[in-house]
This record gives sequence, C-alpha cells and structure tokens, in this order.
Amino acid sequence: MSVQLADGMIRLDGDCPVEDAETLLALLQEHQSASVSLRHCTRLHLATAQVLLAAGRPIAEPPAEPFLRDHLLPLLDRLRN
Amino acid sequence: MDDLLPHFLVEARELIAQASDDFAGLAKDPTRRTTIDSAFRAIHTLKGSVAIFDMAAAVHALHAAEDVLARAGERPLTAQDLTALVAVVDQTDRWVDAMERDGALASSAGSEAEALVSRLASDTVLLPALDPSAPSPWAEALAAVYGDGAESLVAFRYAPDPECFFRGDDPLAIVAKIPELRALSLLPVKAWPALDAFEPFECAVTIEGLSAASPGDIRATMRFVIDQVEIVALPTREESHALPQARRAGSLRVESARIDALADGVGELIVANNALAHLADEIGRSDPKVAARIRDAHGTLSRAVSDMQHAVMEVRMVTIGPTLRRLPRLVREISDSLGKPVTLGITGETTEVDKGIADDLFEPILHIVRNALDHGIEPIAVRRRSGKPETGIVTVSIRRDGDAAVVAIADDGAGIDPVRIRDVAVARGVLAREVADALDDAQAMRLIFTPGFSTAAAVTGVSGRGVGMDAVQAAAERLGGRVEIASTAGQGTTIRLRLPLTAILTRLLIVHVGAERYGVPLDRILETANIDSDRIMRVGLGRACVLRERTVAVLSLAEMLGGEDRLSPFTKLLVTETAAEPIGVIVHGFGDRIDALVRPKAGLMANIPGVSGTTTLGDGCVLLVLDLPALVA
Repeated sequence: MSVQLADGMIRLDGDCPVEDAETLLALLQEHQSASVSLRHCTRLHLATAQVLLAAGRPIAEPPAEPFLRDHLLPLLDRLRN
Repeated sequence: MDDLLPHFLVEARELIAQASDDFAGLAKDPTRRTTIDSAFRAIHTLKGSVAIFDMAAAVHALHAAEDVLARAGERPLTAQDLTALVAVVDQTDRWVDAMERDGALASSAGSEAEALVSRLASDTVLLPALDPSAPSPWAEALAAVYGDGAESLVAFRYAPDPECFFRGDDPLAIVAKIPELRALSLLPVKAWPALDAFEPFECAVTIEGLSAASPGDIRATMRFVIDQVEIVALPTREESHALPQARRAGSLRVESARIDALADGVGELIVANNALAHLADEIGRSDPKVAARIRDAHGTLSRAVSDMQHAVMEVRMVTIGPTLRRLPRLVREISDSLGKPVTLGITGETTEVDKGIADDLFEPILHIVRNALDHGIEPIAVRRRSGKPETGIVTVSIRRDGDAAVVAIADDGAGIDPVRIRDVAVARGVLAREVADALDDAQAMRLIFTPGFSTAAAVTGVSGRGVGMDAVQAAAERLGGRVEIASTAGQGTTIRLRLPLTAILTRLLIVHVGAERYGVPLDRILETANIDSDRIMRVGLGRACVLRERTVAVLSLAEMLGGEDRLSPFTKLLVTETAAEPIGVIVHGFGDRIDALVRPKAGLMANIPGVSGTTTLGDGCVLLVLDLPALVA
C-alpha cells in the first residue's frame, strides 16, 4: 500500500501508481485536515499528482526525490499561497 | 523587411552550409545523434528564417526535411532520405540565390517544393508545427515567467488526452524524462472541481515546461505522445529580433563598412606617424635634444599604432569557409549537367584571410573548379580506359604560407598538354608559331590565362562563353595575388591562387627613375637584378636579356613614362610577370621598402593607365604606385 494514513498525515511512499489516485482521493475526502507527506515518495503518477493539485492540501513533508522536489513541490506549494 | 534581407542571406547560407556538412557526416554515419541534432537545428532555424520572407515553398520543404530528421531517432536515415535532404538544402540554396537576385521566388517554387516533399514524405507522419517565427502565446508566457533569456530554451506543451490513463500513459513520467528540464507547470484544463466531483482517472491537466535540451531531444523523449505535444524553440535575449544572430558568446556583427573606415583611419595614422620620423631627422640637424624626444614619442606612437593596426586586421580576418559554402552544391549541379561524377573535397576552410579577399575569392575559385570539371576531368569512358576511378576528384585546399593564403584547386583529370596549348594559341592567332615554340612548357601552360584563349573544342554551357581563365588571373591580380599552375599529363592539374592575407597595407618597393620616385607593390616583383648593361641585346624592335637561363624581355620604365635612360655600365632591372613571360623593367635605382596605404586613383588620375593608386610618404610627398602589368601590357 503506497498511500496510507498515519499519525493524521496522508503518506505517499515509494512508487505511487495510477490506482493510488482513487485511494488518495478517498483519504483526502475523509480526512479534511490531514496534511500530506511525500518524503518517501519516489514516483507519482499524474493521476495521483492531479488529485493533490485539486485538493491543495499542505505538504508537511516534502519529497526527497529530485524531480518531485524541484518540479512538483513548487506547484503544490504555490496552490497554498 | 528589405534591410533584413542582407542579414538573412548571410545567415541562411551559413545554415545551409551547416546542414550540408551535417548531411555529409550522416552519409558516413547515419545514426550519429549529435550530427542529426545539429542538422535538425540548422534546418529548423533556417525554416524560421525563410518564414520571415515570402518563401512559403521553402518553409514547406524545410518543414518536411525537419520531420524526417525528427524521426531519425526511431527510424534510421536511409541513403534515400539523405539524398532527398541534400536536395532540399540545395534547392533552398537556389531559392536564397533567387531572393538575392530577384527579391522573390520564381513561380515554379511551389511545385519544386512539392516534388521535394514527396521525395521526403513517403512515410512521413506530419508532426506538429515548429515555427519560431510565430511563438505561441503560451510559450511566450512561459518564457516570461521562467526563462531569463540567457539560455536558449525550448518550450513544450503537452495536452494529454483525457482518457490517456486508461491506456497506461503516465504523462508525468514522460515529462520527468525530458533532459535539461528548467520549468514545469501542471495546469487544470478547467478550474479544479471540488474533491467530491473529482474524477480521478480522467486526465485533467495540461503540462507545460521549458527545457534547455534541443527540440530534437525533446521530441525523442515525447515521441510516443508527439501528436499531443507542441514544441517551440524560444529566442534567447540576443536573438529576440527576427533573425538568429551569431551564437558565439560576446560576438558582434558589425557592418564591414565601419571596419573599413577604421582601417582607413589606422592607415592614415601610420602615414601621419611616419611623418614624425621625418620631422625628427629634420630637427635633429639644429636641435638634437628635441629630435631625441620626438623620436621617443614617435616610438611610443609607432607601437600603439602597430597594435591598433593588428587589432583592426584581426577584426577583418574571416575564415574562408563561408565563401566556399555554395561550392559543393554548384559542383553537384555541374557534375550532373556534364554527366561526370565528381567528388569535391575542401580542406583548410578555417584559414583566415582579410574579408575583402574572402569576399572576392568565390568567383575565381568557382571558375577554376568549373574548368577542372569541364576540361580537366575526363568523361567516364575515357577515365575507365586509362584505369582511373570513374568518379573524378577535385579538391580545394586553403592554407597559410607565410603572409600569403594559398588556395589550391587540384583535379585528377587529363592534365594540360603544353603541345596542344601551343597549337591552339597559334591557331587562334594569340602567338606566332616561332614565339609559341620558344616558350617552355611552364610558359606555354600560362597561355591559358591569355584573354580570349579557350582550349575547349566546343563552347560548353558550363564553362561559359568568352570568359576564360584570364578572368581568374585578373581577379587574382585585383586581390593583389597571382596564379600558379602545375599540371602533369594524364594525372591532373593544380592551379594555385597565392593571395595576400591582408589587404590594408601594401608593401611597396620605391624605385627611382630620373628625379622621380615611384612605388611598386612587392608582390608584383619576381626579383630585382643588377646586370651588366651589355647583357641587354636588341631583339627585333625590342630588347631582351638572359636571366637564370630564361629570356626576359626588357622595357624601360623611363621610356614608358616619357623620359629616357642614362647610359651606365650597369642596369637595374625589376623583373615582373605577365601572363606568359617574365619582363624586366629598367629603373635607375632601388629605394626603401615601405608598408603603405595605397589609395585607389581618383579624380584627374583616374584615367592615367599604369597607375594603380597613390600613397603619402613620411615627408608628405605623394608617391604614385605603378600598376606594372598594365604598364608593360
């Protein structure tokens, strides 16, 4: 399971494939105040990424993976401002 | 638009040459990625440039060529592809010539382009347009937000099909692979809906971004979704105006007229500075201390002027490569029209010469190459009989030799037969039989430079009518150079143009005749000799002497200028060269060798034959510079 809720935080770990989009969407809907951790995420399918973009939830733990950190994180952060 | 045309002509020919070079490289190794990319960039930029003018046909053909190159990553280029690509570039070159000549393409351009495209497009999938002359608003917006204009960037916009997730596409994974990614943006196709209404498996974003990679690399990365992608090369800050400018960092394009003005200024400065030395000598007689200080100042100024002169000369130095860019195409055309297959090799195109020389070198080189193909290289059947490969070889090599640039045009053809040259010259009434027979072989070969001489049995469309090798000789002389010829029967001919590297200052030898001084360009002088006067013999109406076992006709400079020679046991001879033979010119004394700025003759002097210009000496006197070939002709 690459998407799960732990300690009030939605964690996306490892390779998050297209199926994770549905799980992530459900978790975001159920836990309206949960923040998101991408720390251990190594790959994010666009389907999953666009859920994060639509939700605009704060990213509590930024990704370490360079592409996600350099190119996706700024887009997610910008939504917050 | 008109003022853009000269820049366009230069730029387009550079790009055509680049593409031609790359295609030549690809003919050897059709998979070499860097060469494919380089050709793609050249064709792509060329397409952007022609789009500025009314050259729709060229845009059309180049677009198709670009597509073939863009696909080269997946489908290796075939020999047919390369032939078709070379044909597009050659045709574009002709279109550029037409723009220069007529300011417009001929009405046949459209059908020519269609023919080229059909050769290229046998299985071409038309790819999205890639047209930098009309950047899309989205690309401009991206550049404004992310690009700083310093780097050359390519903008891409990927609008994935909403159903793409079901097909297994991950657009984010695709863009993550784009090399040199500089910026990325995921934009909702519509405003983001509330999460309750969100459809997770429908792609709802458009991806835009910037990369510093080449359009070809970006296309290669996105090749599986290329139908959903737009790619636009953004102009860098320096290139923001219509035409791409010189890419070398810190380079500057300057009107050559401005450089010429600078060079003239430096030339005048040299002359003015020479006057200081003269002044010091004059003052030295009455006040040696002041004279010493003037000499000091003169020395300092000399160094500064000399540095400046070198700097200006450096600026005027250009590589000879661009001059020769049209040559391969023209050789292909001539070779086709004559039915003689020929390989053209060019070496030393990075040799630098003065711009004035580079500009005027193309015509004479082309003329010699045309002659080599027409008269030198034998028809296939003849070559086969003599055991030569069917494909003839013509090489143009340029090298520096001291302060000269030597352009050698060599062919492996039949060579020049001196016996035949003599016969033709006699038959055409150029020379009397006795004179012709008295010429040695080297002198006989030089007869091809005699005006009106043509050895072709039939006047061909290639070498033209009435324009013989004398035009080459005249061009070389205009450039301050000369032509040398070497030929071996059955093995080929080499014609060398020996040209000065710089055209600003001319080295002159000052000669004395009576009380007058004249300047003679040193590169016109084969040798100076001091001989016993009784070695000069009367021959018919003229005079001659034997120098180094060669008979040299002797003329008197004094007589030519309306004076007369003094009787003296010794005679000073200045030996110069005309088309067929050396000529000794009697002068009364040899003076200094000087570097001088020779101004073309103007005004009253314009009509004096035998004078090529004037220069001002350090003492303020005007020196007439003699045009020896014209004077002895």
